[in-house]
Amino acid sequence: MSAKIYSLSKGAEGLFIKNERFNTTSVSFNFYLPLSDGTAAEYALLPFMLTTCGEEYPDFSVLNYKLSRLYGASLDASAEKLGDYQLLRIRISVINDKYTFENESLLSRATDMLLSLIFKPKAENGAFCEDDLNREKRKAIEHINGEISEKRIYAKNRLIEEMYKGKSYGVPKCGTVDDVRKVTGKSLYTAWENMLKKAFIRVQVIGSSLPSRFFETIAERLDGVSRAEITDCKLNEPTAPIEKPNEITERMAVKQGKLVMGFSSDMYGDDDVSLPLMVMTDIFGGGPYSKLFSNVREKMSLCYYCSAATVRGKGLVTVDSGVEAENADKAQREILNQLDSVKKGEFTDFEYEASLKSLRDSLNSYNDSQVTLDTWYALKANNKTLYSPEEIGGKISAITRQDIINAAEGVKLHTVYKLLPKEEK
Amino acid sequence: MQKQVFESEIGESYIKALHPSGLKIYILEKPQYNSAYAVFGTKYGSIDTCFSVNGEKTQVPEGIAHFLEHKLFESEDGDAFTKYAATGAYANAYTSFDRTCYLFSCSDRFYDNLGILLDFVQSPYFTAETVQKEQGIIGQEIRMYDDSPEWRVMFNMLLAMYKNHPVRIDIAGTVESIAEIDDKLLYKCYNTFYNPSNMFICIAGNVNPEKVLNQINGAIKTNAPIEIERIGCDEPEEVCESYVEQKLEVAQPIFCFGYKESMDKPERTAKEKVRTALLLEIIAGDSSPLYKKLINKGLINDEFSFEYFTGNGYSAVIFEGESADPKKVAEEIKAEVERLKTDGIDKKLFSAVRCGMYGEAVRSFNSVKSIGSQLVECAMSDSGLFDELKYLKKVTPDDVYKRLSLLDNNKTVLSVVNPE
Repeated sequence: MSAKIYSLSKGAEGLFIKNERFNTTSVSFNFYLPLSDGTAAEYALLPFMLTTCGEEYPDFSVLNYKLSRLYGASLDASAEKLGDYQLLRIRISVINDKYTFENESLLSRATDMLLSLIFKPKAENGAFCEDDLNREKRKAIEHINGEISEKRIYAKNRLIEEMYKGKSYGVPKCGTVDDVRKVTGKSLYTAWENMLKKAFIRVQVIGSSLPSRFFETIAERLDGVSRAEITDCKLNEPTAPIEKPNEITERMAVKQGKLVMGFSSDMYGDDDVSLPLMVMTDIFGGGPYSKLFSNVREKMSLCYYCSAATVRGKGLVTVDSGVEAENADKAQREILNQLDSVKKGEFTDFEYEASLKSLRDSLNSYNDSQVTLDTWYALKANNKTLYSPEEIGGKISAITRQDIINAAEGVKLHTVYKLLPKEEK
Repeated sequence: MQKQVFESEIGESYIKALHPSGLKIYILEKPQYNSAYAVFGTKYGSIDTCFSVNGEKTQVPEGIAHFLEHKLFESEDGDAFTKYAATGAYANAYTSFDRTCYLFSCSDRFYDNLGILLDFVQSPYFTAETVQKEQGIIGQEIRMYDDSPEWRVMFNMLLAMYKNHPVRIDIAGTVESIAEIDDKLLYKCYNTFYNPSNMFICIAGNVNPEKVLNQINGAIKTNAPIEIERIGCDEPEEVCESYVEQKLEVAQPIFCFGYKESMDKPERTAKEKVRTALLLEIIAGDSSPLYKKLINKGLINDEFSFEYFTGNGYSAVIFEGESADPKKVAEEIKAEVERLKTDGIDKKLFSAVRCGMYGEAVRSFNSVKSIGSQLVECAMSDSGLFDELKYLKKVTPDDVYKRLSLLDNNKTVLSVVNPE
């Protein structure tokens, strides 16, 4: 497997990852833009709008029919948060031609469709059509409101909202319901123009061969756009520590509580500087060998689940757990005790080795999944050097116990958010 | 060991072997991959609450198969997770209505991991103390599901659809039912259902099949095969209630709308499953007229989905999603079913949907996990891994039309979770 970078235009690059083990080829367009409360809702609507209709595909039903005809080509859209940036993704994947009933040429038809959807939207007089817009706005609003049904995600989002009030990272990845309501056909069309003009663009192809003249065609399309004020997605504001941690408790009609905790870390940035934080977080709250799983869940039975995660670009560590209301305070104290034990180097060689082995084992499996590989490279756009999953696996081997202790020492409690059952009246 | 090799037109092939103990083994080799996925499973799930061996009938508490799954990770010489921690593999297990599966995936030290799997699944160790501790942990898991609207809406539907069949009970049981479980009951269930003749091993990925078979051969404890009689129940054809609702913290109503299918035989065949899946795509897939109508009327969103839910003694078609008006969605589905019964299957749509499903089936061979899961289905239902591809090539609109008879508009349940 090899990754090759092609320059397409100012602030736009193509990446071809040659991998011959798959019976499909995938192509993704990734647009990176600043995450801001003024534009988040509009930008987040775009990937969905562009994958449900287009000038050549006026109706989503017709589009879906054509995708079925392309042997169930999958066309996926998403809007994600990548540090202080918003990442808009549109991805198509098709089975390779030799697997079709009559050796049909699918890949070129699929890439033509993708380019048409992105560069030729269904619009009139500089505005998206009302019917399409209202449909996508309704779905977006239902999606945002629906977050409350999944309490684990809801609680984590509330933590981030509280930790990053007034900052880019605190803006919800799809904006707010109010912002979605304000979007008009014209404003969305302007957002589409801005996306093509200002986004850092990465087009990724994963498969056995690059479609003929594919990157050249995209370069020609981008020549028609006056690219300017291009987003530099390497500038993330680190999470600043605070003197006195915030504590927020909210109540809802639930049977089980959620306890989520956010920490600032003085180690932050891309893979060249922050890998010890990744290993530290894993020893603290990764697999079943971790401090949180083996102590807080297994030995003390304080939580049904309890795990840690990190957003290294932001210097953020989070802990996420499901607790009974009466155990919430005790679980909080115990989670902090476990973090202290990592800071003091109180982890065994077995725990240290288990973490390195587990992380490496998992990274070495990434090449076996087209979706995982595509996501891996899309999320690395802010890295100065683009490493493959195996290369990161190799780098992890060099991380020492002392590197982990150093990473843990810079981790400070920032905010605690609890979602607890309503108190009995 | 008896061995058979099965080949396909898409360049994949697999081995099916039968160990003298009755254990079934399936292996699909992917030499160009880094990783492998392995499952050691038993045909034993939440519905097996009443069974008989050698004429001795046993009724066990609801949730015991899931409880046993949790406990099996502990052996006398430590828990399996600690052993996997030494190799770096990802390990997990799950219990569903009709099966319990223990699995791992890894990109290194496959044979060490297989050794751990073969060892702990065959080494039960339960004591009164460890059982008591687990009751607390599973109690927390049950409460977590009580807060899950998707879980509740589904089980409320099954409760309203089935009067007697144990598919109506929660997989994890209840806090009360699991309180009745003790170490002796666990051993009894283990010794019944974890007999190799009731079990299977499915592996996909970068492995050497001969080496795998030798390793399994040397590790399987050869207990004499036993005959398990699963005691069925008289399940009426009718549903118990056609509408049920509950209130939870959700933004808008979520629903599960199901058709109960009459069971003229215990299990559906692979061919019937493929034809039904095609039918459902034609009824409500994203290029169907019904889907277009429901989206344009603002009645569903991207959460909408459907499945053919079937196993030993139960079978249902289920549509689920979020909607401001679930009753209207159910009416529209019923109307579309009637329309198709009258108008027949649109051949153009049939052809596109068949093409789409064929591509999806090919694509599924990209993932060792997906292949492993499909092999588990083969072991459970004695079907072949390439059956879906084969049936999709041959299926006709008429075959699909005939499956429409399973959808009876008088045997439906609408389950709704409304906002508080």
